[in-house]
Amino acid sequence: MDAQLRTLDTAQATTHYEKSKLGGSGSLWRMSAIARNAFREAVRDRVLYNLVLFVLLLTAASIFIGELSGGQERKVIVDLGLSAMLLFGMFIAIFVGVGLVYKEIERRTIYAVFSKPVGRGEFLVGKYLGLCLTLLVNVLVMGVGVSVALLYVSRGWDPLIPTIWPAVLLIYLELMLLTAVALLFSSFSSPALSALLTFLTFVIGHFSADLKTLAVSLGSTGARLFFTALYYLLPNLSNYSFITPAAHGRTPAAGFVFATAFYAFVYIAVILAAATLIFSRRNFK
Amino acid sequence: MNNERLKSITLGLIVVVGMSCAALLVRWTDTLRPPVDPNAMDESLYLNDKTARRMSLGFNGLAADWYWMRSLQYVGKKLINSTGDISLDDLSGLNMKLLAPLLDTATTLDPEFIEPYEYGAVVLPAIDVQQAIRLTEKGIKANPNAWRLYHHLGYIYWRQGQYQLASETYARGAQVPGAPAWMEAMTAKIQSEGGSRSTAREIYARMYEQSTDDQVRRMASKHLMRLDSLDQQDGLRKVFAAYQARTGRCPDSWRELGPIFRAVGIPMDQAAAPLDPSGAPYLLKAGACEVELDRKTTKVPLK
Repeated sequence: MDAQLRTLDTAQATTHYEKSKLGGSGSLWRMSAIARNAFREAVRDRVLYNLVLFVLLLTAASIFIGELSGGQERKVIVDLGLSAMLLFGMFIAIFVGVGLVYKEIERRTIYAVFSKPVGRGEFLVGKYLGLCLTLLVNVLVMGVGVSVALLYVSRGWDPLIPTIWPAVLLIYLELMLLTAVALLFSSFSSPALSALLTFLTFVIGHFSADLKTLAVSLGSTGARLFFTALYYLLPNLSNYSFITPAAHGRTPAAGFVFATAFYAFVYIAVILAAATLIFSRRNFK
Repeated sequence: MNNERLKSITLGLIVVVGMSCAALLVRWTDTLRPPVDPNAMDESLYLNDKTARRMSLGFNGLAADWYWMRSLQYVGKKLINSTGDISLDDLSGLNMKLLAPLLDTATTLDPEFIEPYEYGAVVLPAIDVQQAIRLTEKGIKANPNAWRLYHHLGYIYWRQGQYQLASETYARGAQVPGAPAWMEAMTAKIQSEGGSRSTAREIYARMYEQSTDDQVRRMASKHLMRLDSLDQQDGLRKVFAAYQARTGRCPDSWRELGPIFRAVGIPMDQAAAPLDPSGAPYLLKAGACEVELDRKTTKVPLK
């Protein structure tokens, strides 16, 4: 059944590609068709089932955490909810992200796609946008879930509700970055290795402040340059961690959000360009 | 019944029965484990505070919550295993060597998390006063606008009898934007009458008002109850003195003083014994003009 649906999806998508040949903004149309297809596939693969787990987690936390946290249930709800959002999102970005291209190659549907006038870059970006759409739905539903949990524990309006949303936005930007990294690795290596490398990027990305400190404290010029280069080359994910301040009711400055969003988009553009470059050289004949 | 259905039922039964057996086996192995003295047993920290912060990646808030809840459970477990009525601010006999590092880790992970500092300021002085001061100072450094932390640091100094330092701390706290006017008043009060009962009442009343932690509020409320009881006992001694001046002897039973209590409006039980703030009757030391709390029934802390 799944295989039939997938074939149908691919057929629909390629029909879109056919139509796009007639349209003026063809590339955008093709990418959006692939993105919608990738989103539908993620939904069909039950990726959004993690929301059920999330809701169960928050419900249990809302009911029981008051007993354990010494009156700090609101803070714990925000910390737990946003951390779970980042964690679940990270798993989706890594495990679905690394399979985006690989599955198409394994199922050989990629041949059907590339027999149409679809560029490899368009294919990659379309896949990327599809997963970003999945993550957006995921993050939005989880954000609403955290807000509802706060409404429940506060027995009414809670001033933390509006303050969590900038943090949610930053989490989403971090997940977008991570998805791009997963896609980059999956464009040239196996899913297992890609997942490992993406996870390591996530870890090192959160250690970036330490890399800078390390670079400053090292005596050798070579080592200093190496760690400084690493600091600037690796994605600085610690900028997107605003969960803890959000739990205290603090929101990031608009300038900071703008700068981090801009950094994310630039970095994503770079990674997708690199992924396209590598992917274009792969031989599918 | 076809084969497929039989197979499904068998597999289902294996899962249910197998899980039940596993649970029973866990219970059995629990009983085989040698008993450990809960007071001698002490868990160790998984990580020190700096490492915990590094390892938490973007989840430091959640990790701080975890350490905070672990601190509460650590104290709770010790209290459950202890005997007698122990006040939260006098846990020195319970071997709480891990409490300070747990609270320290929670606050390193989330320096803006005020509750662990406040909890430490109340619980730690009886265990290790230097740790309590260090933790509260750390909180003030990370949250210079949290005037409540100055209140707690002042409380630590006040409990140590360091009234000058306590007064100075309240004065520093009074300068914080948003600090209530009573912080300034407290500066003068501690300066002029440091160890007085009215200063103690003021400190505990403010602590009760300001704290969000139920345990801290309960502790403050008990201290207030004790202060009320001390006032009541002073009042009763005055009644004894008046009675002795009139009759030339101390009363042998509360009934002899019943009419006076009724006239003054002191709450009594059926035996005319005046009631302490927890509603338990006071004990009269017959012929000695002395009153005391009934250790068996009172909920007022004795010290």
